[in-house]
Amino acid sequence: MENIIEVRSLAKIFGNQTALADVSFNVGKGETFGFLGPSGSGKTTTIKILTAQMSQTDGEAFVFGSPAADLRKPDKRSKIGILTDNSGLYERLSVYDNLKLYCDLYDVSYTRIEEVLQMVNLEDTKKKKVAKLSKGMLQRVNLARAFLHKPALLFLDEPTSALDPVNTKHIYKGLQTLKEEGTTIFLTTHDMNEAEELCDRVAFLNKGTIQLLDSPKSLRRQFTDHTITVELVDGNKEIIDIGANGASKLYNYMSENKVISINSNEPTLGDIFVEVTGRKLS
Amino acid sequence: MNMSIKRLMAIFNKDYKDLSRNLYVSFTVVVPLFLAAFMGRQGNIALEQQYMVYNLTLCLVTAYIQCALIAEEKEKNTLRNLMLSPASTMEILAGKGLLSFATTLLVLGLSAFFLDYMPKDLIVVTAAMVLSAIFYIGLGTALGLMTKSAMEASVIIMPFVFVFSFGTSLSFFADKYPFLHAADYLPNAQLLLLAKEVELGAGFADVWSNLGIIAIWVVVMTAITVAIYRKRMVD
Repeated sequence: MENIIEVRSLAKIFGNQTALADVSFNVGKGETFGFLGPSGSGKTTTIKILTAQMSQTDGEAFVFGSPAADLRKPDKRSKIGILTDNSGLYERLSVYDNLKLYCDLYDVSYTRIEEVLQMVNLEDTKKKKVAKLSKGMLQRVNLARAFLHKPALLFLDEPTSALDPVNTKHIYKGLQTLKEEGTTIFLTTHDMNEAEELCDRVAFLNKGTIQLLDSPKSLRRQFTDHTITVELVDGNKEIIDIGANGASKLYNYMSENKVISINSNEPTLGDIFVEVTGRKLS
Repeated sequence: MNMSIKRLMAIFNKDYKDLSRNLYVSFTVVVPLFLAAFMGRQGNIALEQQYMVYNLTLCLVTAYIQCALIAEEKEKNTLRNLMLSPASTMEILAGKGLLSFATTLLVLGLSAFFLDYMPKDLIVVTAAMVLSAIFYIGLGTALGLMTKSAMEASVIIMPFVFVFSFGTSLSFFADKYPFLHAADYLPNAQLLLLAKEVELGAGFADVWSNLGIIAIWVVVMTAITVAIYRKRMVD
């Protein structure tokens, strides 16, 4: 698979503080790659280096096969879309006028505005002034702006942090559509459900280094203890190994109508993160 | 260097809509017009006084509006979005300067009308005004890039308003303080000197040194502005 992003031994030091230390990973074409970590772990710094908003102290970062710093050239920037936690909009202008500006900057037809507003569930608010939008709505307009020009590579920094579950679902659906169209997505989040739902692979970033990198499914399998929890009618819960002995035990409980529920003990990404790093994601 | 007129006009149109709804900043346009109308009613205004109005226009309208537009873009984190778009440095800076430039020409024209000022060589004076406007746009952009908010912009511009509007008066004290002769080389002083020469019948060939000095200010300010802008592109 062709790599859209290649990062080798990337390091960034601010004064005497190490934000990134020896970070390496690749992101393939069409892949949704999750960069997971708590606040201050180096997620935003990585995005800033990859989008040429910051220079690295050491190591190499390539985007579309060229050094990331090449994205400072205007013609290279049309292939990427960015949503950061502090992306801004023109408050005195309407949603439509804000997006219209970016249609002109990216040479995109105005008909695309309706499409992206539909993707973020804001089709009825296009005439509304941005100043009158809620925080969640602002985030959705910013998202719409980020993928207005159908970028080949989309950087999303905590894209659903200010959204309610209904609108989060809308965003996921929109991102799924972009993925189906072949967009490569680099996503930073501390929301493990989001990573599970959207990402093909995830990297756990902690204190500037990648602790684990794999698909959510593989990670869960890697860290599972191969047990299930059976809740019985008498209120007790029993942990049973997955295997021949466990199967006969479960069969007995079930044949005696003693089982209320059976739950998998497969760890969530959050559990794995805590186990690996000893830190919670917040 | 390619320049997309579509992108440039998109930024201009956005700024026009935004500024027309921003009374705090757009109200400054009225100040020199009010002053010109007031002075015009008194009749027989000296050239020095007239040019105080024009230089005030260049500071308050050109530099301040530009400074406020850029500072607000920084404050609201919209400038970074523009910088990350395919628009080039020159498209963004020219697009953002176009509104201040157009407003300046309009206010200068109206002020001249109120003051009943018709230079003997309109082309020479217009050329000098246009060059000066480019310098003040650069000044406003540089100051806007250095400030963090529109409020801070309205404070940081004040010393420049003083020097570039009333700086011509400094040369009156030059006999006592010789270093104040340097004020003669300020763009506002050069604009006034050029206007005086024109009224004495001078043409392009006679005022090339004045135009040249203003042009040097333009080149230096443009270089400073582009350097600050490029620095701001990177954290």
